[in-house]
Amino acid sequence: MEAVAVEHVTKRFDTVVAVSDLSLRIDQGAVFGLLGPNGAGKTTSLRMLMHILVPDEGAIRVLGQPASDRTLDLIGYLPEERGLYARMKVREVLVFLAALKGLSEAEATVRVLVWLERLELAGCSEKRINDLSKGMQQKVQFIAAVAHQPPLLILDEPFTGLDPVNATLIKDIMLDLRARGATIILSTHRMEQVEMMCDSICLINHGRSVLAGDLRAIKKSYGKNTLRIEYTGDGNFLDRPELVENLNHFGAVVEARLQPGADPQEILKAAVERGVRITRFELVEPPLHDIFIEKVSEAHA
Amino acid sequence: MRKIWLVIKREYLTRVRTKGFILSTVGLPLFSVGIFAIALALATRKADHPLRISIVDNLGGLAPQILLGLNEKLPDGQPRFQLVRAWDRPVSETQAHEELTRQVRDGQVDGFLEIPKGILHGEGATLRTRNTEDYQTTRTIGRALNNALIARRLSDRGVHIDDLSEVMRGVDLTLVKVTKTGESEENGQSLMVQLSLVMILYITLVVYGMITMRSVLEEKTTRIVEILASSIKPTHLLTGKIVGVAGVALTQYLIWMGTAAFVSAYGAAVGSAFLPGATAPRFHLPTTYLVYPLLFFTVGYFLYASLYAALGSMASSDEDLQQVQMPVTLILVACMILFPIIQRAPNSPVAVALTMFPFTSPILMVCRITVQTPPFWQIALSLAICVATTVGVIQVSAKIYRVGILMYGKRPSLVELLRWLRYT
Repeated sequence: MEAVAVEHVTKRFDTVVAVSDLSLRIDQGAVFGLLGPNGAGKTTSLRMLMHILVPDEGAIRVLGQPASDRTLDLIGYLPEERGLYARMKVREVLVFLAALKGLSEAEATVRVLVWLERLELAGCSEKRINDLSKGMQQKVQFIAAVAHQPPLLILDEPFTGLDPVNATLIKDIMLDLRARGATIILSTHRMEQVEMMCDSICLINHGRSVLAGDLRAIKKSYGKNTLRIEYTGDGNFLDRPELVENLNHFGAVVEARLQPGADPQEILKAAVERGVRITRFELVEPPLHDIFIEKVSEAHA
Repeated sequence: MRKIWLVIKREYLTRVRTKGFILSTVGLPLFSVGIFAIALALATRKADHPLRISIVDNLGGLAPQILLGLNEKLPDGQPRFQLVRAWDRPVSETQAHEELTRQVRDGQVDGFLEIPKGILHGEGATLRTRNTEDYQTTRTIGRALNNALIARRLSDRGVHIDDLSEVMRGVDLTLVKVTKTGESEENGQSLMVQLSLVMILYITLVVYGMITMRSVLEEKTTRIVEILASSIKPTHLLTGKIVGVAGVALTQYLIWMGTAAFVSAYGAAVGSAFLPGATAPRFHLPTTYLVYPLLFFTVGYFLYASLYAALGSMASSDEDLQQVQMPVTLILVACMILFPIIQRAPNSPVAVALTMFPFTSPILMVCRITVQTPPFWQIALSLAICVATTVGVIQVSAKIYRVGILMYGKRPSLVELLRWLRYT
């Protein structure tokens, strides 16, 4: 059984088609990346999964049941735009939200306290939300998404605003939840996070799925056509349009997409001839970042 | 249902526990009682020092008669009025006038009464004083002067009277309101009850409507509504919110009504202990004054709260709120302005129309019932129209709310709103 099955779903707002003939399959226990440029229809798609919006055409099944008011409690949601009742106490807000997801208030209280402990917020349970730092509020909001132990978790940009320590904390919890059988839908613009965490992805643009499937398989299909180079010295050995299709400077690292059939050895030779010191020279699959840009700009062309 | 209950509970508890609620709930009765007590004390306060007055009598011979009417005593037994000088037919009117004016200015006397020669033929007298706000004193002096004049006119016609007050004693005119259920003595309390009922209805509808509206906007601006929408149906969320806020209003009224009942039960006893002889006004409140307002208020509350909630969901900021709430608030303000029409002619076609129109009937029908209870069928019809409209408005509001809470940015135009109604 799939955790989520979306079949030919279309959603229109007046004349605007927000989502067009979208089909998705997300395996149970997978981490699924929902990608797309701003305004591509990601939020509309997520809202349809949560039955906030109803598709005009097509069907959505969540954990085997048609999406409805009854599937609401199976989903935990961390929206991209964060916010909680500013004047309420942390524990009260979390218990309220967990109870709204179907827990009894007694059970909600127990779980909330356990989660506060786990996210190093135990001392904050009686503080008001607006007395917390932004990072702490982020973590409280994360608890709101997971406290009722949903089998399906939808996380929209879960790491923004978190320092590396807290980001790692959240990441470890996500992996732990997944190990316990939860399915996670990750919506983010941070491609390196997707590459590290996701099993499969769907890239949507203008409401349509333009790339979907297993992430490794997708990357493999592009082949090892990208050079990842670290060097010191003059970088003009890379100005070889007949060999290099596209260059991406990251400061310390350069990624060079090779022309079809180009020999990376040529570039290495050029570098050595110019006395450039190479500290890394690796032939890799294209980063998801490049695939994203390529797919999205293809659609624009 | 359980989820609605959770929303009601949160909405209720977070509001009832705020300092604002406690202050307004406890503060308002204390404030009103305080104002009432101060007003009562001021109104019944006896002067504590004698008032020094002079009389310029250009006609002659009136001063002794006037003094008969100024026989009030101060609490310590001293006479209230002290005649400094009775100037009988002064040689120069202007000189007398100027001298006494100077004395008033210097504080040697508190005031002087100037009687012209032609006072018996309709010329007016003048009381010159520094304090013209003291109506009670002015009235006493005026009455004394009038009685003196009447006595003079009578004696000019050969009628001599020793005790004029015995002759002048009038009767009190008692106003009795006749209603279907009986009669009740009218001392202006009907007007007071009408005015307070209308004010309470108006204030409650506006204040609690706005609270509902702000609560919707707050959830929108903090974006918590995204989480709520993924946990509970928007219509259930809206229902819980409106009922929760209604609970807050009800709590406040129960506390106020309890205080009022307590004060009216024990107030008279307490009052007479402090002010011997003072009687508290007795109110006759027919049950129609309680049952109908409660019915109309409940329906009106849901009508306006759902309207305000829909407006709140359209806004994205406080500035938006100011603009979108105007039309609805104006209708409520109009009720306050139109209220005298109902009072003056409760059965005129305008009054009937206003009490049938569902957006004004919650306030104005209540007002009309207290002025002159209309036939039962009219009350029932008005209530039925209002209930039907409320049911419709709640449905439309829920649709707008459902879309509006997830829309940010520009306020929707009317055309866009109509489109929202078709969204699923």
